[in-house]
Amino acid sequence: MKTVVLGLGNPILSDDSVGFRVAKLLQSRLDESEVTILEAGVAGLNLLDLLVGYDKAVIIDSIQTGEGKAGEVYRLDPKDLDKTRHTSSSHELNFATTLALGKRLGLALPQQLIIFAIEIKDASTFSEQCTPEVEHAIPVCAGMVAQELRGD
Amino acid sequence: MRKITIDPVTRLEGHGKIEIFLNDAGKVANTYFQVPELRGFEKFSEGRPAEDMPQITQRICGVCPEAHHMASTKALDELFHVDPPSPAKKLRELLYSAFYVTDHTTHFYILGGPDFVMGPDAPVAERNILGVIGKVGLELGGAVINARMQNHKIIQMVGGRAVHPVFGLPGGVSKALNEEERKEIEQIARDSVEFAKLSLKVFDDIVLQNKEYVDMIVSDAFTHRTYYMGLVDENNKVNFYDGKVRVVDPEGKEFAKYAPREYLKHVAEHVEPWSYMKFPYLKNVGWKGFADGKDSGVFRVAPLARLNAADGMATPLAQEAYEKMYSTLGGKPVHHTLAMHWARLIELLYAAERLLELSQDPEITSPDIRTIPTAVPDEGVGIVEAPRGTLIHHYVTDERGVIKKANLIVATVNNAAAINMSVKKAAMALIKPGKEITEGLLNRIEMAWRPYDPCFACATHNLPGSSPLPIEIYDSKGKLIKKFPAG
Repeated sequence: MKTVVLGLGNPILSDDSVGFRVAKLLQSRLDESEVTILEAGVAGLNLLDLLVGYDKAVIIDSIQTGEGKAGEVYRLDPKDLDKTRHTSSSHELNFATTLALGKRLGLALPQQLIIFAIEIKDASTFSEQCTPEVEHAIPVCAGMVAQELRGD
Repeated sequence: MRKITIDPVTRLEGHGKIEIFLNDAGKVANTYFQVPELRGFEKFSEGRPAEDMPQITQRICGVCPEAHHMASTKALDELFHVDPPSPAKKLRELLYSAFYVTDHTTHFYILGGPDFVMGPDAPVAERNILGVIGKVGLELGGAVINARMQNHKIIQMVGGRAVHPVFGLPGGVSKALNEEERKEIEQIARDSVEFAKLSLKVFDDIVLQNKEYVDMIVSDAFTHRTYYMGLVDENNKVNFYDGKVRVVDPEGKEFAKYAPREYLKHVAEHVEPWSYMKFPYLKNVGWKGFADGKDSGVFRVAPLARLNAADGMATPLAQEAYEKMYSTLGGKPVHHTLAMHWARLIELLYAAERLLELSQDPEITSPDIRTIPTAVPDEGVGIVEAPRGTLIHHYVTDERGVIKKANLIVATVNNAAAINMSVKKAAMALIKPGKEITEGLLNRIEMAWRPYDPCFACATHNLPGSSPLPIEIYDSKGKLIKKFPAG
């Protein structure tokens, strides 16, 4: 089963780099002959390009739910993001719509798709560091992803 | 009407929004286009080697990193007082043209197209690319994906990595092109030209043949008579990569033309208490408020502005399309904001034609791709046309090339005043006392800012559950009476 782990984010915008950071940590821990680990600072259609051709994808990203505590890690299904399917900007072709588009066009998208989202605090200050609670979540999330990949 | 003070800190929740305030009679009193602040860029840049800036600044935006990369690289040329060899400039422009094909394609089919293809009154759930594909067919959807994928391949080939190239160096580029790659690029360029022609035909069939849409385009509610700015080459033709900045007045007469390093003599920034954004305006006209006309320093950038500020397109098919647009809409300059979508497709065609031209240039596989800098660095300004408008990178360093100061004027900020004006005018024309505020009506207000495709260096991905630019309407007591989208 061809598997890709995609760490999404912006490496220079504080907590928004968390997806990247988790992916980087996994690169040092996992055997990359079995799974491809990528870091990507992209969205929308660019994301589609990266998912094509894999059977399973694990996506790691930051999230601001407005309700959670910074550092909490959620495991989400694409269906959880379904009600956000709406686009009115090329910057905001959101994930649910991107997937739906790929399926409609018959692209070879992964059959299994899991999302790990980390609740963050600050995505508007330029910095290469995450805030403390989010920094602590990085190894926690990496552990959850590794567990997911092992099939536990 | 009560005066309402809006404090951006209490109003924003991370993403931008539009706020519309009604007076006691139920008419629009004022509108505010709000953006979140990204903090600390100057501090973040200080102490870094200037050569890192093309890599760092392209991370600001996940949608147009190539634009930042290019502006930054050009700033480095000037900083180090070095002129790249001709093949290097052509390679840069080739990569940049491929990037334009991907970006303008994405914008039209994902953002602009849906409003027209599905119609402004179509339900939100249908007014997106999925609805478009449902209407115009899977084949076109596939062509869109393909055009993007192929041109991203070019960026990867030429720039070393897709989306975030590792490419620009002071005095040149990092990689030369071989004949095999060149041939592949030439073929992709040919396909891209065909795709661009097809896109203009789609626009013609769906938009221009539809009287309701054309009426909307030329309506006064979506029209502003402003100055226009764009980069032009030595023949005053549109150029995305290089040239001088040209400004024309609302009647189309040249008002200013300057080299990048002189931008501070021409552009100043105005501050409003209710926004984090600064509002650039023409210094030599002055800030007269959010107003149209020759006496107001407000100017616009991006596709329509570029075409207005130039004397034509440098490639034949795009030139033909340019002439058609102006003859259809009554001459130059065109002040109708919705025509930006049309201008964008003309630029798409130009980018594809230019890509083809460059791929066939005898110098394009030359190994002479770098002039090593020898002078002491001090200060450099790099200007390119990003898809969303004129983009400026300005660096000041010490004698080792370590950044002391970095200032960026990102493309959309140049349109900030105009976006506010467009939203206000549309809101005032559409929201009337006693008239129900429907989704279709609010979507028409959204159509006032969508042509600008605002890019405020937001996070690189959407946060689930939030809409990019919700509209909130308040009554004269400041009570929220309607929010769109509702969720």
